[in-house]
Amino acid sequence: MLSGLPFPTDKRFEMTRIGAYQHGIYPRSEAVVAATRGLERKRTTPEEVRDRFREDEEDIIRVQKQAGLDFFSDGLLRWQDIFRPLVEASRGMEARTLVRWFDNNSFYRAPEISDSPALEGELPEAFQEAVGLPEPRVATLPSPYLFSRAAHTKGDRNELMLDLARNVLRPVVDALRGQGYRVIHLQEPWLGYFGLEPGADQALAEALQEIREGAGGAAEIVLHVYFGDAGPHAGFLRSLPVDAVGIDFVATDLDSLGTGWEVGILAGCLDGRSSLVESLEDTAAFARRVAEKLQPPALYLSSNCELEFLPRDVARQKVLRLGEAARSVKESLR
Amino acid sequence: MSMTETTLLTMPLLTHEMGSLDKPGWRVKGYAGAKLEEKDIEEARSWGERLGVQDHERLVELLRGSPLDADGKDEVRRWSSRYAVRLLESAGLDVVYDGEQQRSEMYAWAVAHANGFEDRGSVRAFDNKYYTKASVTGPISLRVPYHNDEFGFLQSVARAELKVPITGAYTIADWSFDEHYFQDGGQIGSSDRRTRRKEARRQFILDVARNLIRPNLDALIGLGARWLQIDEPAGSTGQDELDMFVESFNESVEGLDSVFSTHLCFSDYNLFFPAIEGMTGCKQFAVGFANYDSRELGVSDEARPGYEVISKFRDLPYEPILGLGVLDIHTDFVEPPELVRDRILYAVDVFGDPNRIHVTPDCGLRTRSWEVAYAKLQNMVEGVQLAKKSLSL
Repeated sequence: MLSGLPFPTDKRFEMTRIGAYQHGIYPRSEAVVAATRGLERKRTTPEEVRDRFREDEEDIIRVQKQAGLDFFSDGLLRWQDIFRPLVEASRGMEARTLVRWFDNNSFYRAPEISDSPALEGELPEAFQEAVGLPEPRVATLPSPYLFSRAAHTKGDRNELMLDLARNVLRPVVDALRGQGYRVIHLQEPWLGYFGLEPGADQALAEALQEIREGAGGAAEIVLHVYFGDAGPHAGFLRSLPVDAVGIDFVATDLDSLGTGWEVGILAGCLDGRSSLVESLEDTAAFARRVAEKLQPPALYLSSNCELEFLPRDVARQKVLRLGEAARSVKESLR
Repeated sequence: MSMTETTLLTMPLLTHEMGSLDKPGWRVKGYAGAKLEEKDIEEARSWGERLGVQDHERLVELLRGSPLDADGKDEVRRWSSRYAVRLLESAGLDVVYDGEQQRSEMYAWAVAHANGFEDRGSVRAFDNKYYTKASVTGPISLRVPYHNDEFGFLQSVARAELKVPITGAYTIADWSFDEHYFQDGGQIGSSDRRTRRKEARRQFILDVARNLIRPNLDALIGLGARWLQIDEPAGSTGQDELDMFVESFNESVEGLDSVFSTHLCFSDYNLFFPAIEGMTGCKQFAVGFANYDSRELGVSDEARPGYEVISKFRDLPYEPILGLGVLDIHTDFVEPPELVRDRILYAVDVFGDPNRIHVTPDCGLRTRSWEVAYAKLQNMVEGVQLAKKSLSL
């Protein structure tokens, strides 16, 4: 576990540390929507689009600061989907077929595997845009299990998972280590939505260990299971070599997770697919219940999934609410 | 049995469009009240000439007077509609519409004409494609039938048979936020909350079907619409909601006198089975497959991986027609007629009956330029001719 992070020490629930951050792709503003549309129709310039993106990046930093979040994300605003910058920066795969992103009106281009995939060069360009991002930072990446299952391949998916972990994800994590990233958030909706394929458990553990070694103790690894009930997988999840497990509490009963967690918990307690903004009182009360019931060494508050399914203004309200809730929980546990 | 139903059931390899086409620059800018550039006016002139649009010089004249007033904007929308019909007819399609030129967008247009919805802002669908998402905030009802004007106009314009595309109830509900049916959800992290959420969701979907879609369909039938295509791109979005999708279709159409079909796209189509066995009022399923297929020629299973699921449609007990998507609408790659032919021959072989196969693009072509869309559709029609020749039809 990391030390020296800006968390208060909880006195009532043993040593639970409380923090909050926003992960995943954040929605684009109406100005970026208009600019990117305009560029495709040749009605605006790349410079105009770049400027609008820059304004959005400044805005999301401002909102996270205002919310008082503990780690900063660049919002992955230029990412066309969670795989794309990694696929484009790697050999052995390309982005092609549009596939529905689970049960959303949102689509990704499935990585088409043609050879053993490996990152070429250093960090993908998408990370180099984060020059003005304050520290400590959080990076969001696809979990190796998600990556290997969402890809189109004729090969063995567990071998692919290990290849992706060793040759694509680990090199990225290696490079991020020295750039102020203290949390590596791995999105894992595949496990939540479809479950774990028989025989994939050991390979997933190995793949996560590979990534964790890449972090070298400088960043925590959070595996976030969402778009499904984590309850049936609780025993497996808490055995994995990660620092925290993310739970989608829109889809999971708190009571199904047992007690006395040895790894941290990321509580997805704001609904990233609902335009209604949750009440501060209910959210903070729920977070306290999670801390009390699971007694994890660390408790991160966040949304249950990425916020890109919301219009930007609604997402902004959710981020502010997240910060308020985290503050409330921290204060009440002091 | 109506005339259209007879046509549907007896015309092998009938071709039709699947809804949207791109809106030309002169349509977008003209309707937005902008001053048009010479290149926009030239685009209107050259396409008018190419498609043989009668009196298109009047459009050119109208555009030269931009920015347009309210009457001029209405005029430009109708011209765009007229052009799109001619493009589809000129490509050789048997059944056409107008590329939804008079609508804002398939979802936004519907909720803009309904009571109970409020816009919330843009949400991305993929890459740089977005849609405006609304929230249901009150009781749902039809404010005004929202396809009547365009349909009435197209009846006077089209030479080919018309099929009206209409966004379905499940898709409208799925693409909306819910701030009305599930307001007091209770504490997260509990199964009780999820149960209540599901009940609220079902009520929402069925209210859209009963109070918005059905009266709109009824109004179109009153005007003489004989083939109504219920577009359900979101149909398989919720694996555990397929019963609601089927129920919403049935609630929308049951007892109405027309031919009803459904359009499905960009999904794992296996998920629809066996749920759609209950959609007995659906005469045709128009489904996008080319996006998942290879570009290699051939009629073997290996050559046609994108069409693996079609036997499940064949085996539906009420024997619907399959609208076979043969054009990938997400790429500028223009499918050669021989590739279209092989996709058709593969499907005919699986079905064992060319009367149960129609030929279509995967989905609306609005993300392609007219140049690309036209080339794709022309090749589709040519591919049908090659298939017919091969089948001695």
